[in-house]
Amino acid sequence: MHVEFFGLSRERAGTARIEVQAETLGQLLSILAEQIPPLGAFIGGNRLHPAFIANLNGDCFVSDPATRLQKNDHVLILSADAGG
Amino acid sequence: MPEADSVPFGYHARYLRIDVSHGSGEYLLLDETMLRQFIGGSGLGVRLLLDEGAAQADPLAPEAAIVFAFSPLVGSPLTTSAKFAVVSKSPLTERINDSLASSGFAIAGKQCGCDAIVIVGRAPELSVLVIDEKHSDVHLEPAAEYRGLTCRETEAALRSRLGADYRIASIGPAGEHLVRYATVSHDGRHAGRGGSGAVLGAKNLKAIALRGSQRSGWAHPRELTELSRSLSQRSFGPATAKYRELGTAANLLTFNRFGALPTRNFQSGTFEEAPSISAEQLSATRSKTRESCVACTIGCEHIYGHGADGVRLEYESLFALGSLCGVGDADTVLRAVRRCDELGIDTISTGGSIAFAMECVERGWLDVGGNDAPWLRFGSGEALLHAIELIGARSGIGNLLAEGSRRAAQVIGHNSISIAPQVKGLEIPGYEPRALQTMALGFAVGARGADHNRSGAYEVDFSDKVDRRRVTLDAVRYAIETEDKAALMDSLILCKFLRGVFDDFYAEAADMLRKVTGWDVSAGELRETAKRIVSAKRQFNLLAGWTPAEDTLPERFLKTPLPNDPAASLSHQRLDELVAEYHRQRGW
Ligand code: SF4
Repeated sequence: MHVEFFGLSRERAGTARIEVQAETLGQLLSILAEQIPPLGAFIGGNRLHPAFIANLNGDCFVSDPATRLQKNDHVLILSADAGG
Repeated sequence: MPEADSVPFGYHARYLRIDVSHGSGEYLLLDETMLRQFIGGSGLGVRLLLDEGAAQADPLAPEAAIVFAFSPLVGSPLTTSAKFAVVSKSPLTERINDSLASSGFAIAGKQCGCDAIVIVGRAPELSVLVIDEKHSDVHLEPAAEYRGLTCRETEAALRSRLGADYRIASIGPAGEHLVRYATVSHDGRHAGRGGSGAVLGAKNLKAIALRGSQRSGWAHPRELTELSRSLSQRSFGPATAKYRELGTAANLLTFNRFGALPTRNFQSGTFEEAPSISAEQLSATRSKTRESCVACTIGCEHIYGHGADGVRLEYESLFALGSLCGVGDADTVLRAVRRCDELGIDTISTGGSIAFAMECVERGWLDVGGNDAPWLRFGSGEALLHAIELIGARSGIGNLLAEGSRRAAQVIGHNSISIAPQVKGLEIPGYEPRALQTMALGFAVGARGADHNRSGAYEVDFSDKVDRRRVTLDAVRYAIETEDKAALMDSLILCKFLRGVFDDFYAEAADMLRKVTGWDVSAGELRETAKRIVSAKRQFNLLAGWTPAEDTLPERFLKTPLPNDPAASLSHQRLDELVAEYHRQRGW
């Protein structure tokens, strides 16, 4: 699936998007923490730090590590605090 | 100076009421029970305005009152607490307006031995109000020589005239010209929304300069210092990292991805040139420094460029003078933001009014009463900059746009009110209501109009609590929660960017207040206090003539789905149901 980073997660990842294969959200986050160590500070085990959230395909926000992912899904990682 | 029988810690238990028609002031006592009920900031300001009968007055008339309210936390070591609220009836909305700013003006104002300054009357000529608590002196000085100066120039000139220990809040040329969304500025920060700068302008006040020496003391200083240290420590953590490292401008690309970035007067939720004005692009191509408000450990301010040319950039300015006007040239947007700051005008209302006019030109509607402005086209940076100048000077089409989009629509006709991007007259911030429907409700019911600082309902949309494009009545209680929390934060006063560091905001706020005031205050009491403050704002609006029909959005949002995202559709009926449920849950 396609992982898109926004704001701080993009800064830390050093890229706007990457491709990762995972079956669940938890698995995906564990892979990201391992592959991109600067992101690790925002990922505890298989969950995002509360200051960050994940969104599936621009539609629903997801936090349950067991959330199933499909091959062509877009997973967006952004700050939970969207305001300004 | 009158002294209250018992003065609670953190307070002076009195306010300074100044009638600038005579240049005289007197200290009046504040009752401890009332202080505990309304705390400070917005809450205290609204309460004092109600006592002044300000709801029924013309906001630009001499008898209209404007309040500068401090709080028990001002002057404490608690991070982000050096804030003041400017509260008055808005000349833009004719409803309650409370705008906040952070700076040493808050600390110096409280050191004048008062918890608020209430100003009424009209000075006979353009003047500076000087409050010198050290010499028990309040007087007016002529300010003709400062006419037309920017806020920054005014501050610099007054400091060199009066002394470096004065703190100065001032208006720019736009406030002098009574632009209905003129700001009050201190140290480059603006009490920005709703036109408090025009209220000062109508009082012939170019600036307020003050200095004082009084301190209010804390009930438990050692514990307060420990708590402050721990809060500061937490403010360095991940919950505020976004603000420290990128600033709010980082929202732009996120919102664009979600189809929630208002573009070309809300005709679209995505802007094809968003990357070129994004925080990421600006950071990569320009020098940038970071600054903090006084007594803040977060430091969210990202200044692009150097020295006097530096521009303090927030998401709201970026969207309003960028995507909303279809302008994708970063240099132009930065120049536009700087010019708004110099003139002393709210960037959101400026961008909203100009974008509205651009769409009217596009539709061939802007052809009345000498307001023809064929040059005012979406995407034209030159037109944007020119329109800002005209607004600041109230010249040509600028005279109409200085009235805000709602009044402009009434002049333009063609049912243009349906596309005027405002609620209750206040221009809508950078959150597309059809794509963020809990926020749509927050905008519709907001006491000061469409506002993202008095309702944080967008947080709910960016969570798994609701489906942001198909919200149900479940969203209402969440919207109420964010509004209550904002009311309390604005009264304590603490910066909203701190909100993510609290595990239990009400309990922690109660702890702060206990340590400062010595009151045995609980989280439950503060929940009630927050609701009381929201109700007081509503009471003000009722007295000012509020009707239920005002709690809505412009027709555009209720009749047309977002072109780029047909799922983002909000019907009249659904919004009405949400608003009715909001009123029901509020018990109104
Ligand atoms: S977080 Fe930003 S706006 Fe808030 S007090 Fe600190 S510098 Fe000022």
